Amino acid sequence: MASEIELVDIQAGYGRAAPVLRGFSVAVPAGSVVCLVGPNGAGKSTVLKVAAGLLRPRSGRLLVGGRDVTGLSPQRMLAAGVALVLQGHSVFREMTVAENVRLGGYTLTDQKRLAERVDFVKGLFPVVAERWGALAGLLSGGQQKQVEFARSLMVDPRVVLLDEPSMGLDPKATSTVFAQVRRMRDAGTAVLLVEQNARRALETADLGCVLDLGRVHLAGPAADLLADPQLGELYLGGRPGEKRPAAQEG
Amino acid sequence: MPSGALLFQSVVLGLLLGGLYALLAAGLTLYFGIMRVVMIAHSAFLILAAYLAWWWHERLGLDPLLSMVVTVPLFFAAGVLLQRMLLARLRPATLTMMSVLLTFAVAVLIEGLLGYAFTGTQRRIQLDYGSAGFGLFGARIAVVKLIAFGLAGIALAGLYLVLKRTRFGWALRATIQHPDAARLVGIDTERIAGYGFGIGLATAAVGGTALALDTTIYPSLHWHWIGPLMAIIVVGGLGSVPGAAAAAMLLGLLQSLLQIPMGTTWAQTVFYLALFATLAFRPQGFFGGRLAQRF
Repeated sequence: MASEIELVDIQAGYGRAAPVLRGFSVAVPAGSVVCLVGPNGAGKSTVLKVAAGLLRPRSGRLLVGGRDVTGLSPQRMLAAGVALVLQGHSVFREMTVAENVRLGGYTLTDQKRLAERVDFVKGLFPVVAERWGALAGLLSGGQQKQVEFARSLMVDPRVVLLDEPSMGLDPKATSTVFAQVRRMRDAGTAVLLVEQNARRALETADLGCVLDLGRVHLAGPAADLLADPQLGELYLGGRPGEKRPAAQEG
Repeated sequence: MPSGALLFQSVVLGLLLGGLYALLAAGLTLYFGIMRVVMIAHSAFLILAAYLAWWWHERLGLDPLLSMVVTVPLFFAAGVLLQRMLLARLRPATLTMMSVLLTFAVAVLIEGLLGYAFTGTQRRIQLDYGSAGFGLFGARIAVVKLIAFGLAGIALAGLYLVLKRTRFGWALRATIQHPDAARLVGIDTERIAGYGFGIGLATAAVGGTALALDTTIYPSLHWHWIGPLMAIIVVGGLGSVPGAAAAAMLLGLLQSLLQIPMGTTWAQTVFYLALFATLAFRPQGFFGGRLAQRF
């Protein structure tokens, strides 16, 4: 299956410090959700920064739809079809849901196309249609996240990058957000998902990739990773019903 | 006990003055909202615009209001240049503090240039309609004050429409509220911030012209204005245009009413008392917070 976005042998880091990503590669096939899991400091968010054009890789290639887009600015990455939804809340709080969503289509010049995309995201995210005239900052955390998803889909991107979408959300809102991630995928948008809640992320994703120290530690179908006992112990907090060994003391 | 007519006169004058404060403070708070810049030179540009209006009238013999045809676009361009050439080059970590020093230097520079060009002599525009006025329920309202209020009202309404109804305005508000997210939807936040500064400085052009209509001006007059304007934007909630407008109207009114028992000089302290009270009890401002940047 053709990849919507592909990172190939990426080396990347901040300033003159040692690289965070050390030869990292991942591909996101069309119409799929790929999740990156791993411990803190593994480089998950750095992957998204490179993919969105916020951080230029020191080496390696970034391909979108097969085209080399390495080193492009965030604005040009957006034009190439890559949208990023930031960690935490990033709605324009003192603007209405309508204004937030329409700003997602800021780069669209065709008003008819803009109207079509508005109708599309309102259909995909019912809460956006219901709270259309409300101030975005007054919505609940889960609702705000859906507004951010809707905003990111306004340009009809090839791939949406989601950075910890469940951060700070209660369990019910988390379930809603992951259900919406699946709906985005079903609507034809590829998703690259970074998530601390590794179990929920792998349950949602089609493919998974475990990062450790800036490299791919393990990759494959998400269901297989979920079933992997070693991974379960290391990153998923043990498997349900499985007896965990007692911690060694002394 | 002041008479009802005197109280009414003070209320009217307070509202008219508050309108001018609102316009000037709107520009000042816009800079802070866009880039967290404390623009000490805002009032120096205000006095520069007043001098240009005076010069326009004195040397060309034209109505000072017409000077805005030149000063508004000129100040807009100066604001864009100031942001792009100076402020955008400051390091983000120390931007706010360094902006105080940088714009302080710009203010002193403008004051020096005004002194050099026009000397320190006090200037006042002599208009045919300068002493015209009319009575309203026992109060006398000067036409020039009404014109100044009208100018402020038109400029604020224009600012509101730009921010609320235009694509640029949406982009500017988005840049103020969440610059990273604004960048990710494709907004060129640097360019938008430059234009935002231009608009802020353009309000100083309008305000300076309005000020020149019935105020005696001199190069160091800007120090008299910057304190109250800073107090207004803190009370209104830093970065909040409607907050600044509300605080300006309220404090302008209070200042005018306090002039009856306290006199002109001491009535000015209302700004600093309000500033201290805000910093002590509600640092986010009384009209900002959730309402901030609601335009």
